[in-house]
Order: sequence, then C-alpha cells, then structure tokens
Amino acid sequence: MGQKDRLGTRVIIYIILLLALIFFLFPVGWTFVTSFKSQKEYFTYPPVFLPEKIDLHNYIGAMIPPPDGRNGFKSLVDSLIVSLGTTALAMVLGAPAAYSLARWKTGGDDLSFWILSTRMFPPVAAALPIFFIFQQLKMLDTYPVLIIANTIFVLAFVIWMLKGYFEDLPTELEEAALIDGASSFAAFRLVALPLVAPGLVATTLFSFVFTWNEFLFALLLTRKAVRTLTVMVPSLVGGHEILWGEIAASGIIAIIPGILLALLLQRYLVRGLTLGAVKG
Amino acid sequence: MSTKTLTQAVPAKAKRKHTAVGLRVGRWTPTWFVLPAVILLFLITIVPFLIELGLSLHSYELTSMKGAEFIWLKNYADVLLGDARFWNALRVTAIVIVAAVGLEMFFGVGLALLLNRLRGSRSLITSLLLIPVMIAPVVSGMMWDMIYDDKFGPLNYLIEMFSFGKFEGTAWLAQTSTALPSVIVVDIWQWTPFIILIALAGLQSIPTELYEAGEVDGAGPWQALWYITLPMLAPVMVVGFLIRFMDAFKLFDIVYLLTRGGPGSATETISFYTYVRGFKQFSLGYTAALAFLQLIVIIFVSKVFIGYLQRQRGGEA
Repeated sequence: MGQKDRLGTRVIIYIILLLALIFFLFPVGWTFVTSFKSQKEYFTYPPVFLPEKIDLHNYIGAMIPPPDGRNGFKSLVDSLIVSLGTTALAMVLGAPAAYSLARWKTGGDDLSFWILSTRMFPPVAAALPIFFIFQQLKMLDTYPVLIIANTIFVLAFVIWMLKGYFEDLPTELEEAALIDGASSFAAFRLVALPLVAPGLVATTLFSFVFTWNEFLFALLLTRKAVRTLTVMVPSLVGGHEILWGEIAASGIIAIIPGILLALLLQRYLVRGLTLGAVKG
Repeated sequence: MSTKTLTQAVPAKAKRKHTAVGLRVGRWTPTWFVLPAVILLFLITIVPFLIELGLSLHSYELTSMKGAEFIWLKNYADVLLGDARFWNALRVTAIVIVAAVGLEMFFGVGLALLLNRLRGSRSLITSLLLIPVMIAPVVSGMMWDMIYDDKFGPLNYLIEMFSFGKFEGTAWLAQTSTALPSVIVVDIWQWTPFIILIALAGLQSIPTELYEAGEVDGAGPWQALWYITLPMLAPVMVVGFLIRFMDAFKLFDIVYLLTRGGPGSATETISFYTYVRGFKQFSLGYTAALAFLQLIVIIFVSKVFIGYLQRQRGGEA
C-alpha cells in the first residue's frame, strides 16, 4: 500500500511519527543529558539542555563506594548476581519441562495453563507469604531469597517461551536418535536443544532483563546486604540534597541491558512480551 | 469471531505444531522432565498461597505483641464493607486501566497503522519507538520525575516557551487533579510501544489477497481499514489488551517513585495500598485478605486470557 500514498499524506505520516519519536525518546535523552550535568546546572531555570562540560564525574560518583559515592558498583554486581542466578535456575528447570510439555503434552493443557497462570499473580500478593516464610528461615536480605522469588515469574515465562520453540521443531531427528539407542535425555540435550539455540538465547536474555528490571521483590525482600540497581535508584530520590546528576547516571547504567535487548532482539520481542501468545 | 479468522491472524509458520506421540519413551520419562520445575513452582506458588489463605483468616499485627488470632472471614468483611481506602484504591486502579490501557490501544494501533505504510525507514523508526518497553519501570518513574519537576524540569519550561508565556506549568505530581493523569502518562509512554509492536505483528500477518479482493469489490481505503484491517487485527489485540490489563492491575513501581500514592490517596493503586498495609503497617492478616481478593480478580482475568489462547490454539489444529 505504501506506494500509493501521495506526497501530502506521506508528509503528514512522517510528521506524526516524528512527534511520536520525540515523545518516546525525550525522557531517555533528558536523563542522558542530565547524567553529565553539575549540581549547579541541574538547579537552574530555564533548564540547561546542553551541559557545559561532558565528563563522567556523575558516573564515577554514582559507582564508587561511600562516603564519596553512592556504591553503585556494588548494586551493579548485585543486579548481575540476582539476574544470572534467576536466569540459570529458570533455564535449567524450565528447558526440560518445556520439552516435555511440547513433545508429550505431559499433564495435558491443565498443567501448561497452571504454569502460565503463576505468571499472572500480582507480585505484591506473592510477596507477603514469601516475606513471611523467609523471615522465619532468617533468609531475608540474601541473594537466594531474591533469586527464588524472581523465579516464580521467570520460570513460567521460560517454560512457555521454550514450549513454543520446541513445538515448532520437527520430531524426526530426535526419533532417529532414539532408534539409534540414545536415551530420551540425550535426545533432548544433544539433538533438540542445539536446534532451538536461537530461541534459547532469546529466552535467556529476556529472563535476564526481566529480572534486572524487577523492583518490588527487591524492595521488600532485601535491605542492605543486597541492593539491586532498581532499589538503588529510588533510594537516591528523596532526602534533603538530591544528587540528580548521579541519579540520572545510575538510571542510564540500569537501562543499558534493556535497551540493548530491545534494539538487538527486536525480532523476538513480540514473542517475548506475550509469552509466545503472539508470534511475530 | 470464527476460528478461521483466528487461524489466519497467526503467521503461517506458527501453525504446524510438532507434538510427538510417536516419540516413544518410557512411561515416566515425560514426568521426570517436568517434575523439578513443577515441584519448585509448587513450593513457591501453591505453598505460599496456602499460607496466605491461612493468614487472611487471622488477625495478625507484627507491630503488636499479640500473636495471631483466628477470626474467620472478618478481614474480608472489613476490606469489602468497611475500608474506604480499599475502594478508593480500586477506583484509582480502574481509572488507570481504562485510561492508560485504552489510550495505549488507541495510539498503539494508530501508530502501527502509520508505520505499516512506510517502507525503507520502518525498521529504524520502529526500533527507536520500542526503547521504553524494556526500561525498568522504576527508572521510567525516575526519568519522568525529573521531567515533571515544577521548578527545574523541562516540561514546565517547554509549556511556557511554546505558549509564549501565556501558560505556566504546575506542580504536576503534588496536586490531586493532575497527579493521577501524570502517572497515567508515564504508563502510556512505557507501554504504547508494546501495543505498536504486537499490532505490527498482527498487521503483517494479514494476507494481501484480502485487500485485493476488497479493491475488486470497490472498497475505499477507509472501508478497507474498517472492514478488513481492524477485524483481522482484533484477535491479536485481545491478547495485547489482556496482558496490559493484568499488568496495569498491578501497577506499583511508577507510583512508588513518582507519588508514593499521594497527594492524599489520589494515586494509590490497589498494589500500592496492599504494600502500605503489609510492609509499612505490618498488618499481615489484613494484607493477606487484600492480596487474596486481588488474586481472585487476576485468576478470573487470566482464565479469560488462557481460555482465549486455548481457543486460538484449538483453531490451529
């Protein structure tokens, strides 16, 4: 249909899309600019659109340990540990489960949909009993508690994503492997898994970013020993002297994995964001 | 909506499913494959919810010395009959769902229709538009907090500049009348690209023959939009709507960062209220009842969602 648009129509379309681009990119751009501002440049009116000096002082201040900095590096490491731990746990348990659901319809639709439904729970409703249990176990404010809590949502996601990829994969090669005497686990691990490699990579990266972006569990289940980036950022907003430059810098660091994923894995984004319900 | 349209709305490659009853394995093999995941999910969902159900039947304040006391359904009665703040939170959440999700659907489909008309520049523009989707909501909140800042933020400056000083901005987050719309704008900013994305996927799976047939029958562009594009898009958009509904229902992060539910309780969503009762006031029993009521709503909506997916999958077979 594109060919038939008249010049006037095309101009209007581009103007609307340009306005949309400005709206959707402005907050990110503004945060980026702010991350280079000095304290004085932030607290002026009219606001400064281009900081005088572009240097990394806010990034350094955000990352180094107190008393001079906001300890962001520690938070970065915490976010990494929790995201990697959650993703690893969910992939190791999720991949065989997804395979079983896809190949043999184990437990029928009921099991698949029960698993899907765990993804829908409001986290705040799930947080209370988990808080309660881990308080009794004296395990609050540790990596395992956050990894386990995040797994609730990520595991269901992993199973549904991978189930879709296994269903798209023809069974002949695995059948051949079985006839040649391979165990069913070997057929799964050595034949099926490598064939869905792109799906595995996409699922892994999505799980990583979903956990990386998670906030509520991190806020409720950890205090000081573990403090992910998503908890660090709001903890800097408030208090009497707000260091907006450093907050913006930590925000920029916190959104890098997500933005990379959105740009590089656009092809998988539809599937990832709809749990495979819409296949783009 | 017939299964035929549903099938057509799914791209062709998704149609063939390879379930292998022929993949002969031991009787218990399939079970061993799922068991670890199912056990873990059981331990982290069913067990906590049984505990929560138990808690919800007790009066249990962590802040008082008294232990838990069994009170039957009193917590539920208190929430539903006596808690004005709960009903307010429900109202706020409903406004967010209707306004935010509604506008996201409108702008998302609209922008997708425009993007779909472009050729060369489409993928670049789409990539850029998608950036907000994968940003941590709490960081989105932080970004907009700077934008809304009434003294030093760019929004009020831009309003003043573009109206040549006729209008002045205001303290967007501090006023009852503007706080909730401000929160809703952030949600729209973050999730409209998600709708764009799935609407584009839906648009690209509409067979071009339909438009050719429409043209033969003398349909103009608006008729094609109304009678072909939108109906064909509907199944995918239902999925998008239900996902957004469930997410908007648990809106928390943005509110936490921008307003903490205020001013007063103008932006207090149901998730935020639950958080306040449970993790600020430590009324465990009462919060458990609140949480359970939300679960009922979400279980109901996810049943609709799942039923819809099942029918869609049924249509493929």
